[in-house]
Amino acid sequence: MILEIISIGLIISACLALFLDEMVYSVAALAGTFLFTALLYIVNGSDFAAIFQFVVGVGTLAILFLSGEMLGNKPTKKASSKKTFALIGLGAVLSLPAIFLSVSGSTGTTSDAFFGDALWNLRGVDVVIQSLVVLTVALGIAIILYERRSGEK
Amino acid sequence: MDFVILSLVMLTLGIYGLLTNRQLLKVFISVELIATAATLNFVMLISSTGQGLGQAILILAFSTDTAVSAVILALLVIVSKKYGTSNISEILKMQGKVESEAEA
Repeated sequence: MILEIISIGLIISACLALFLDEMVYSVAALAGTFLFTALLYIVNGSDFAAIFQFVVGVGTLAILFLSGEMLGNKPTKKASSKKTFALIGLGAVLSLPAIFLSVSGSTGTTSDAFFGDALWNLRGVDVVIQSLVVLTVALGIAIILYERRSGEK
Repeated sequence: MDFVILSLVMLTLGIYGLLTNRQLLKVFISVELIATAATLNFVMLISSTGQGLGQAILILAFSTDTAVSAVILALLVIVSKKYGTSNISEILKMQGKVESEAEA
């Protein structure tokens, strides 16, 4: 039962994230999507995946909130509650095939005992990935600073 | 087959948003939804087999997703600062104007 509720919430929040007009509400709905995904991982026994999903989601959302405030256009008219309810209904309808055809009766096996060993075996990859992330973030900051400097000239 | 259809619905929503939305940040949110769908499929498949290696390799997916997000957001900020709007149609119109002026 709990898997079905999480699946419905996941699809509804994804619909709201895509189709809501105001950017901040849209990002808040995306936060719900990440949260429901992490809950789905926890229920299925993948605790570490849930933690990583949560951490990455928090980082992405913090930046997205800032970008949404910076780049998002202010809506000319106020979003109607009728549209919001219609989107929730659409999400509920879209989640029906997933519930009846896919989710029911799934029981994940906990694999936490092997996670540490697996991660230790992949430590070289882990270091390379971390450096890749740091390098990419630095590249993004460098692009923005370069553009800002060339705009000032 | 568990959760495959759930991630398929998420993937369909993401692709639909990618094709129909004209705001740059909405396009980015669609890309995030597609990445979430792919990760969801991967995690559920691996957790059903009970291998920890899959969860460890999942860090690769998350890290790649974060790196892609950082680059996309930087490009979005630059494009919207340059053209003064985050609407793709208006940006394309402005690009057409700039190219026609350059040719003239």
